[in-house]
Amino acid sequence: MSTRKTGRLLGEIVMILLSLLFLYPLFLAVINSMKSFQEVMTDVIALPKKLTFANYSYVWEFINYPRLFLNNTVITVLGLAGIILVSSIAAYKLSRTKSRSSAIIYFICIMPMLIPFQSIMLTVLKTARYLHLSDSTWGLGLLYWGFGAPLAVFIYHGFVKGIPKELDESAMIDGASGFRLFFSVIFPLLKSVTTTIVIIDVMWIWNDFLLPLLMVNGSPSTKTLTLAAYTFVGQYTSDWQYAMTAMVMAVLPSIVVFIFLQKYIVKGVVAGAVKG
Amino acid sequence: MSKLKRKLGAKIEFGLFTVPVLLCVAIAFYIPFAMTVRYSLTKWNGISKHPKFIGLDNFKQIFTGDANFANSAWFTIKYAVLYIVLINVLAILLALILDAKLKSKTWLRAAFFIPYILSLVIVGFIWKFIFMQGFESLADSTGWGIFKLSWLGEPGLAFISVLGVSIWQSIGFYLVIYIAGLQSVPDDLKEAAVVDGAGPIRRFFSVTLPLLAPSITIAVFMALTNSIKVFDVILSLTGGGPGGTTYSIAYDIYRDTFQNNLYGYGTAKALILFVAVLVITVVQLTIFKRREVEG
Repeated sequence: MSTRKTGRLLGEIVMILLSLLFLYPLFLAVINSMKSFQEVMTDVIALPKKLTFANYSYVWEFINYPRLFLNNTVITVLGLAGIILVSSIAAYKLSRTKSRSSAIIYFICIMPMLIPFQSIMLTVLKTARYLHLSDSTWGLGLLYWGFGAPLAVFIYHGFVKGIPKELDESAMIDGASGFRLFFSVIFPLLKSVTTTIVIIDVMWIWNDFLLPLLMVNGSPSTKTLTLAAYTFVGQYTSDWQYAMTAMVMAVLPSIVVFIFLQKYIVKGVVAGAVKG
Repeated sequence: MSKLKRKLGAKIEFGLFTVPVLLCVAIAFYIPFAMTVRYSLTKWNGISKHPKFIGLDNFKQIFTGDANFANSAWFTIKYAVLYIVLINVLAILLALILDAKLKSKTWLRAAFFIPYILSLVIVGFIWKFIFMQGFESLADSTGWGIFKLSWLGEPGLAFISVLGVSIWQSIGFYLVIYIAGLQSVPDDLKEAAVVDGAGPIRRFFSVTLPLLAPSITIAVFMALTNSIKVFDVILSLTGGGPGGTTYSIAYDIYRDTFQNNLYGYGTAKALILFVAVLVITVVQLTIFKRREVEG
């Protein structure tokens, strides 16, 4: 019995070492973000000689970090709110209405899941320009409503089927109808799927690259975190210490959120994949 | 009268609930898609006011005389096949290990999941730094030959780098899908197999793997749809190099449209990508549907 115990302990240690090795690149990025140029050039794997955040204050100012953070937040929150609102009401109505037109509209809503973004990127940009949605964080946030809708409608539609119709009927007897019925009776019951959609979409929109690159890369005041990090590396091709600082600053918010909400994020991602 | 009114009311309500989403998907997908179809039949540099209609000439040229397209298509196919196989095998292996009742399970799952929450462009840059600078220091301190290779400078190695970094970034996602799948395999089934004298390997292939089938379906589907569209990680890791050997189809489209200003030609390629994705998805869904019915 005790050999089995030591075997398990050994396995445990091997796995922990493996996971640390797996995360080693991120560790290297963090320690090099605190070094000077010479230190990075002489030895990448050595720890920094002294703990300094000089690189951070430099990059913070240079890329105007607070502004980028605000842009990311505006785009993500606006995009998310729209996706949830527009998709949940439509999916509810489509799921409750049994008719041909309802089935066709449902198909129109989920069909775009098959269109790869690269197939339409140029013409999306042209459409956005025409509607004056380009070069603005608000415009980009609004565009996400359409890009996020297919998956959200699909997930909501499947879930609403499981909510008994009698609930609608008794609410109607109480005098509620239309949007009031939906928001006071149905929407609260969708909480678990809404959480799933929030998690998948926040991860997607916050980290998205190509659409923001086409839409808001024109001016420093509309850039996102990832875009700024991308441009920054282009300008400082050999100043790796600054590049790594920009990388760490760009990913730090995601990692902090992940540490606190790990359980929910993993659960949401699994639920999204299984339903999607 | 009141019945008519109620019917009309229901129609209006149906409209109020569904028109917003229709507008949104029209702007994001249907209008751009229709424009893509139209531009694909034209020669246009984006500067002249009117695209010139040239029929199917773009498509003819893409299939007969475009080495870039052929190369990037070949790259994408190789990449997709290897990515799908490797990431699923590795994720299943890891999931099996983590499913054994390790105390550090929560930490391990989180550790392998972390790269997945990071933006691919940034992951590409971090790895570029590791390959270009980090490996030099690692070679100095370990003396291992593996760190002395030019991982981004030689075509074959650059391909492996792109593949490896993609797997590193997303394995956590597949891992959690398989862990969830394994948790739904009932313990008494495994125990029954132990009682029957089945060894661990036999047990895996005759009990665990068949019960994992739904998870494999999902994971393969996701791996395929993601790998066909690979773009971000290449952009920041190799930039298509060395010598243009790591261009994917998506990157090739991006290069033609936004760097070479071949708007008509680029959209024709984009349309081909769409058809390819559509065909692959439909084929895959029918295969999986049939199998599920049989199972």
